[in-house]
Amino acid sequence: MAVLNNKKSKVNDEIPSASMADIAFLLLIFFLVTTVFPKDSGLAIVLPEEAETVEVNQKNILHIIIQPTGIVDLKRGESTQVQQVRPSDIESIWRQAVAENPLLIAAVKTHPEASYKFMIDVLDALHLAGAIRVSLQLFEG
Amino acid sequence: MGIRQGGFQRKSKASDEIPSSSMADIAFLLLIFFMVTTVFQEDKDRPIDWAQAEATKKIDEKKKDILNIWVERDGTVWMNDRLYAMEEITPVIGPMYAASDRHLLISIRADREVAYLQIDQLQKQLVAAGVVRVVFATELERRMTRERR
Repeated sequence: MAVLNNKKSKVNDEIPSASMADIAFLLLIFFLVTTVFPKDSGLAIVLPEEAETVEVNQKNILHIIIQPTGIVDLKRGESTQVQQVRPSDIESIWRQAVAENPLLIAAVKTHPEASYKFMIDVLDALHLAGAIRVSLQLFEG
Repeated sequence: MGIRQGGFQRKSKASDEIPSSSMADIAFLLLIFFMVTTVFQEDKDRPIDWAQAEATKKIDEKKKDILNIWVERDGTVWMNDRLYAMEEITPVIGPMYAASDRHLLISIRADREVAYLQIDQLQKQLVAAGVVRVVFATELERRMTRERR
């Protein structure tokens, strides 16, 4: 009886520790592979080169004027008619306007006291609509 | 002969191979050493409220080619954990941009409530420094939370 007991305890005395390191490495590699670092993200634009001024025909410009209150005034080319819209409306307006005139340029004129976020809202809408030719300016007068 | 052989056998049994049971410990030690001693060159985040946009895209550029310019709500400008005046940006960025072989990407991280005048001045400083590629860093706005018309 005593002999039998002895034999049994010798067989499964402790957990095999030889493969513990392998398990640890496996976990390590698993976490290394699955970890995703937050990447920088944002709205990319290309600034004009210094002293690079291009004369653009007025009828090819869509003036987007951002007021300090966040209200957006739209002015098409030569016409003096001003249309008040919300930033979220610009996406569809741009799509429509660029379908009519493929040479259209968006001139985003922001009031100096307007919040940065209003400009981002407008830029966001333009990016969503696939606008490439965007000019960021300061609204004067 | 028999005795000598036995002696050899015993000797070779004592130093048969390098003990491999502690190899993993050594590997871990090295790993932890390098993890602790590695220093990432990165500026600390400034306390800003991020602007949000739906069209936000990931920037495909190496970390070392991105320079963050932080604009806090009070209009102060920070780069690499240092405060800069608006006029200092052109002289600081200019040489940096030239040294990077015009690869440098500027990430403007401005508070959403900051007045646009600051951003415009910053852009003018960057243009004067010859910078072309700029990103307005934004958080991705969840489509679900945005009220649809």
